[in-house]
Amino acid sequence: MDKLFVIAVGGTGMRCLEAFTHLSAIGMFDSKEIEILTLDTDQANGNKGRVEKLIQLYNRIKAGGTPNANTFFSSKLNLYRFYTNYSGQGRENYKNITRLNSGTPEQQKGNKLISDLFLDNESVQEFDLSHGYRAQTHLGSMLMYHGMIEAARNIVRGTDIKVQERELDEFVTKLELAGQDARVFIFGSIFGGTGASSIPIIPKALQDFIKIRSKGASSIDFSKAKFGSTLLTEYFTFKKPNDKQKASKENSVIADASYFPLNSQAALQFYQSDPTVQRCYKMLYHIGWPIESKPVDNATGNNQTITGGATQENAAHITELLAACSAYDFFTRTTGLDIDKTEYVYKAVDFSNSAFSFSIHDFVGNTNKAGERFANKIGAFFSLAHISLTVNNAANGDDGIKGFITRCQEQKIAQYNTITDAECDEINNYFKAFAYTFENTRFTPGWLYQVRSTVAPGTFIFDSKAFPDNLSELRKLDVGSIFLDEKNHWPKGGILTNRYDSFVKKLINLGPEEDQQVNTTKEKFLAHIYNAITHSQGFHLI
Amino acid sequence: MESITAYTVSVIITLIILFIAATIANIIKFEGGSKPKDPRIRKLSFWVLCLINPILIFLLGFFVFIPDGNRMEISNYTTALSIGAVMGVFLYILLGFILSRIFAKGKLGHWF
Repeated sequence: MDKLFVIAVGGTGMRCLEAFTHLSAIGMFDSKEIEILTLDTDQANGNKGRVEKLIQLYNRIKAGGTPNANTFFSSKLNLYRFYTNYSGQGRENYKNITRLNSGTPEQQKGNKLISDLFLDNESVQEFDLSHGYRAQTHLGSMLMYHGMIEAARNIVRGTDIKVQERELDEFVTKLELAGQDARVFIFGSIFGGTGASSIPIIPKALQDFIKIRSKGASSIDFSKAKFGSTLLTEYFTFKKPNDKQKASKENSVIADASYFPLNSQAALQFYQSDPTVQRCYKMLYHIGWPIESKPVDNATGNNQTITGGATQENAAHITELLAACSAYDFFTRTTGLDIDKTEYVYKAVDFSNSAFSFSIHDFVGNTNKAGERFANKIGAFFSLAHISLTVNNAANGDDGIKGFITRCQEQKIAQYNTITDAECDEINNYFKAFAYTFENTRFTPGWLYQVRSTVAPGTFIFDSKAFPDNLSELRKLDVGSIFLDEKNHWPKGGILTNRYDSFVKKLINLGPEEDQQVNTTKEKFLAHIYNAITHSQGFHLI
Repeated sequence: MESITAYTVSVIITLIILFIAATIANIIKFEGGSKPKDPRIRKLSFWVLCLINPILIFLLGFFVFIPDGNRMEISNYTTALSIGAVMGVFLYILLGFILSRIFAKGKLGHWF
C-alpha cells in the first residue's frame, strides 16, 4: 500500500489543505496515515495558522486513535511545519540573504551583475520577504530551494538546528523510507507567489535535501516516485495596491491581482514545456474559475492590500475543495501512474443561467460509485454538524455532541460515558470550523458554508435550505432532509413519527462494526453515529 | 364467583392501561437538543396511568361490571374489586418494570 504525503505551499495551498483536512474528517481517506507538510515563507500567515490549528484539532479528536474505515476522522494526519526564516537580522530581503555585499570586490561585482540581470535592483531585491514572494516567482523559486537546501546543510552540520528544520527532516525521512511507494501531492496556486514559486522546485529540492543529508548515498528516483499537483489558476482577486502603500522599500513589491490571469497563462506555458516539471510530476490537475473572480478583502474594511501575515485569512472557495478532490483522485487511482511524462487531468462542470451546477459526481468522479460515496460521507458529516450545532445548539454554547452521549445514557447505552466534556467540545469546535458558529450573536459561516456561497445561486450537492444563516431559520431546519435528491432524505417513518425519531431508533439498534477497525471509545462513538446517519441516508453503494 | 369477576376485570383493565402506556411511550418522539424532555414525559405518563389504573378498575368494576346479587354478594364483589385495584397497581408496576428491562434501549426503557 502506498504511503501518502501532502505538501501545502503558500496561502492558497493552505486553504486547499484545509479542504483536504475536511475531506479526511468526513472519512474520504479510510485506513490511511497521511504525512502533511506546510511550507511557507510567512510564519504568521492567517491561512497557515488556521489550517494548522484545524489539523491540531483533528489530531486531538483522533488522540490515541488509529486509521479506521467507513467512519468520520478515519485517517490519521501527521503534521510537519517548515518555513523559510526571513525574520532574523540579515535575512529580511534578497540583498541581505544572499550577502551581495560580501566577498572580494570582484565577487561583489559579479554577484551584483547576475542579480540585476534577473531581479529588479530597487524593488525585487529589497522587499520584505517575511510576507512571501509577492508574485515574484523567479525570485521565490530560487529562495525556496535555497531555504530547503540550507535546512539540509544545517542538519548535516548538526548545530543550531531550528525546530522547523527538524520537522522538515522528519517529513523527508518518512518520504525517503517510503521510497517508490510514496505518493506526494502538492497544493499551491500557480498565479501567486509562494506556491507558484515552489511547485516547480519542490521535487528537486526534496531530492537534493536527501542527497545532502545522506552525503550522496540516497536520493529520489523520479521515474518511480509519484508526485502530483494542482495547476490552480486565478479564482479570487483583491484590492490593487496604491502608491502610498508601495512608497516604502519593504512594500515596493506587492502582488497585483489584476496580473493574476497573465501570471496564470505564463505559468501554464511554463508547466507545459519545462522538462524538470515533466520529469518529476506524474499528474497535474488543471483547476480554474472561468468566470469573474470575487474579491476576498471586501469585508476587511482595510484600504490597503493585504500582503500576508495574520490578517491574510481568505474565505474558502470551491476550487480549493476541487484541489483536495484532485488529491483524492491521485491517492486512490490504481492505474496511470507508471508514466514517464506528466499527464494533465481536467474535467468540466455544467454552467447554466450564469451559475455552476455541481452534482455529486463532479468532485471525485463516479468510478465504483465514488460520487455516491463522497455524497454519503459529506452528507453524514454535515447532518451531524447540524445536529451538534443546530439541534443540540453547540453554535450558541450548548452541549452539542454531548447530547448524543446523553441520549445514549437515556437509552441505557453506557459505553460512551467515559468521553469527557472537553473531548465533546473539541468535536463541537471542529463542526463550528466545518459548518458555522455564532460569535457574539453574529453568524459566522464555516468552511462548507463559505464553499457553497461561492457557487450560489448554482447547485451544490445539498438543498439551499440546508444552509440557513439566522436563528429562526436554523430552528426550523430538518437535519434529515439536507440533500437535493429526496431519495437520500432520512425516512419519515409513518404518521406518528418524524425523521429524527426514526434516526434515533436506528442509532439505538446499530453500533460500531468490526470492519470499521475502531479502537478508542471516541472512535467507536463516532463510528456508531456514522452508521446511524449513513443508514438513514439510504445511498446504494454496492 | 363475584371475586373472580372482580379480579378478571382488574387484570384486564391493568393490561389495557399498560398497553396504552406502551403506545403513548412509543408515540412520544425522540427529541433532539442537549436536554431532551421525551424520557421524562414517558416516565410521567407511565406513573400517571399507574395512578389512573386503580381508579379505573374500581369505577368500571363498580358501575359497569357490577353483578346482580344480594348485598352480601355485592359486598364481596366490592371487597374483591378493592383488592383487585391494589393488585392492579402492583401488577402494572411489575409488568411495566419487566417490559422496561426487556426493551431497555427503547422508549419503554424510560419507565424505570
